[in-house]
Amino acid sequence: MDSWVVAMMLGASLVLGATALAAFLWGIKNGQFDDEKKMMSQVHFDDEKELNDLADQQKKREALKKKEYKPE
Amino acid sequence: MSKVKCDHCHLEFSDSVMIHDGEYRFCCNGCRGIFHLLKDEGLESFYSKMGDTTLAPPTEQFEASSNFDTPAFHERFVTLDKEGLSQVSLVIEGIHCAACVWLNEKALHKMDGVIEANINYTNNKARITWDANALKLSAIIDMIRAIGYNAFPYDASFQEVRANKERKEYYLRMAVATFAAMNMMWIAVAQYAGYFTGITQDIKTILNIAEWFLATPVLFYSGWVFYRGAYYGLRNRAVTMDLLVVTGSSLAYLYSIYITVFEKGEAYFDSVAMIITFVLFGKFLEVLSRKNAADTLDVMSKHIPSEVTIIEGETVRDVNVNEVKVGDIIRIRSGERCAIDGVVMSGEGNFDESNLTGESEPIFKRPSDVIISGTTSIDALLTYKATKDFAHSTLSNLVNLLENALSHKPNIEKLANRLSQHFSSTILFLAIGTFWFWYFWPHSFDRSLMVGISVIIIACPCALALATPVATLVGLALGAKRGILFKSAAQIETMAKASMVVLDKTGTITQGRPEVVYATIHEIFNPHILYSLTKASKHPISRGVAEYLERTDETVAQILLEDVHEIPARGVVARLDGKMIVGGNALLMRDSTIEIESASDKSLFYYAVDGVLAATYELRDLPKEKALESINALKKFGLRVVMLTGDHERAAKRVADEVGIDEVHAHLSPEQKAAFIEMAHTEGHVVVMAGDGVNDLLALARADIGISMGSGSDIAIEVSDVVLLNDSLTSLAEAFAISRRTYGLIKQNLGISLVYNSITIPLAMMGYVIPLIAAISMSFSSLLVVGNSMRSRWMYK
Repeated sequence: MDSWVVAMMLGASLVLGATALAAFLWGIKNGQFDDEKKMMSQVHFDDEKELNDLADQQKKREALKKKEYKPE
Repeated sequence: MSKVKCDHCHLEFSDSVMIHDGEYRFCCNGCRGIFHLLKDEGLESFYSKMGDTTLAPPTEQFEASSNFDTPAFHERFVTLDKEGLSQVSLVIEGIHCAACVWLNEKALHKMDGVIEANINYTNNKARITWDANALKLSAIIDMIRAIGYNAFPYDASFQEVRANKERKEYYLRMAVATFAAMNMMWIAVAQYAGYFTGITQDIKTILNIAEWFLATPVLFYSGWVFYRGAYYGLRNRAVTMDLLVVTGSSLAYLYSIYITVFEKGEAYFDSVAMIITFVLFGKFLEVLSRKNAADTLDVMSKHIPSEVTIIEGETVRDVNVNEVKVGDIIRIRSGERCAIDGVVMSGEGNFDESNLTGESEPIFKRPSDVIISGTTSIDALLTYKATKDFAHSTLSNLVNLLENALSHKPNIEKLANRLSQHFSSTILFLAIGTFWFWYFWPHSFDRSLMVGISVIIIACPCALALATPVATLVGLALGAKRGILFKSAAQIETMAKASMVVLDKTGTITQGRPEVVYATIHEIFNPHILYSLTKASKHPISRGVAEYLERTDETVAQILLEDVHEIPARGVVARLDGKMIVGGNALLMRDSTIEIESASDKSLFYYAVDGVLAATYELRDLPKEKALESINALKKFGLRVVMLTGDHERAAKRVADEVGIDEVHAHLSPEQKAAFIEMAHTEGHVVVMAGDGVNDLLALARADIGISMGSGSDIAIEVSDVVLLNDSLTSLAEAFAISRRTYGLIKQNLGISLVYNSITIPLAMMGYVIPLIAAISMSFSSLLVVGNSMRSRWMYK
């Protein structure tokens, strides 16, 4: 076995691990683990509607930024 | 009859009492209103999300939501973010399940102008961001109420936000360090195996490079806190533990890079990662249990009313407290708290001054009596003239004094800190000495450097850094189990060093409410009548008698009396079947021309029917259960026990004799109590103060450790360092026992790590330490310390 195989496998597994770590760090920064109870239970209500709702909120914020947002 | 579920709250009722609405059934109109509202808004999927949980039916009659739109409210609770959006923190009441969180967030998101609503399910706190131009805050509050919940504002103080941010930062750093250290252990296994069985240089280099890759973020990202700590330490000309960690790990890191590049010897990357990870973990435990002193002042200011009602001629208006000038006429209604000092102009009524004096008796005020800010009107409706502006009123002065006391809180140096300073400089000195010794032996520069570094690495304070936090964590857990909350881990050590304990009388040693100790029955009477009479008053004496009647006779019940009215500072008068019924103090008896024995200094309650004295009750504020035993236990700890009270000498002396306290200081104002503690400090005492009222605040803040009773005022609980949830003096003694035990444990742990070092350092100096030994030694010493702490936890039941 050539030593480059060791190097490649080590590199690949470290990259995989680092990706998972990066996702975890992103989660912490995003406040996803701030509320342990919500984290566990809110999963039940996570469907397409929630995603749309989130997108709407994002739109509202952006619209407001551009000063185009007019509440009816 | 069959039970049917209400379609909103899911509580079960019999079908006949339900409101029928088509196919739906509701228990009340509130539930029906919410159900239809949710349906109209398209939020009815809430009910399927709710599952089997039941809700509390909504309650009506909230305070007007327009309060939320006043400038004073906005000034205190609303902040603006970078984009000019308003933000407010609310506590949402009535959240039972995850679906409630979902519903609130959804309903708010549907409102125009609400940008973000984030509700924390664990503590029910909500953070709402909205556009103030599009929407009033009161509309948001109305929405929350409309769907069956209620919201209160709370001050998300700067400190709280910062503490959370710091904690989050530590999470991130620890995640990186743990990830790297754990992966490195796998690589290290290959390296150690290679060390003993042979390994080709190119494989070794590959492993080294992988470790290098992993160690870099650990040292520079996770270890950043140590660099910062070392820098600030050096600026103050102090050799800190941080400096030792930084030198050890940085040198090992650089040396390992050199090894990797020139392909000779063994690299120490795994030691670098391990040191940082272990010590960071210890530091994180400390951060978790640290208390923010400044938080308390927010709570204090919450108790100050922000607006008062002033009367100008014919007009009545609410103004900000800061705008009130001396001479303004202020109106106070029952239940309101005074914000400004003054003199009563017209009206009369009872005031609760227990906030300031600690004595529970209401004070009756009539024109020309003095009003003190911070006191609360019980039933008084009166107008008074401001004699001071807000900034000079008693309440503001108290806040200022408190602020001062908290910022000057004595800080007892921690054993571990003191030790680590000497330890750090000794190790650095030894390492440099070892290096020169080896270099002049003579050995190669590489070899001598490696031996020098191994001294620092092996001594590196993994166990030392864990010794204190792990022990205090055990102490905190032991306390929590017994209803003793230490707010900050560091307080345990201070408490263990205490030499003097100061106790407040009312509410701390005694129960804080009068109880009947002696009853004399002159004429046979109907206890139901007396019970109903005493129930008509909220005065502590009346309540004490009522409780006594409940205790002695379980069948006692209220009956309807006629013409019941309370005469302030006298008692209660009523009529039944044409008979005159009076119950109250000696003054009332004299007024109703009833013969009584000569007055005594005890609190007496007389009861007379139709001008004939029927019973006399003697009441007294009794010491708590097991007070004597607990105080004896405190004395056994070698503590000097002192009692301070605002009460008069005689009452104080009596209680003191009963519970076995020799040193009593009576008739003290809150400032004098604090001054007494200050004096004890100059005598060299470490003082623990236990109290419960606002009158003890200053003293609690001044003392090295302030202990409050769980039933005490919230401000006292906030200011204090330790809270006794069950109010008993037994837990006070236990708190001392736990703190001393924990301190003993800290000493043991520090001892273990020092002994450990005294064995391994000579080994390192002789050059026997290879990376494997360094790693094993580090883990083993940390395990010893953690294990020793756990042992204590199991043994102390």
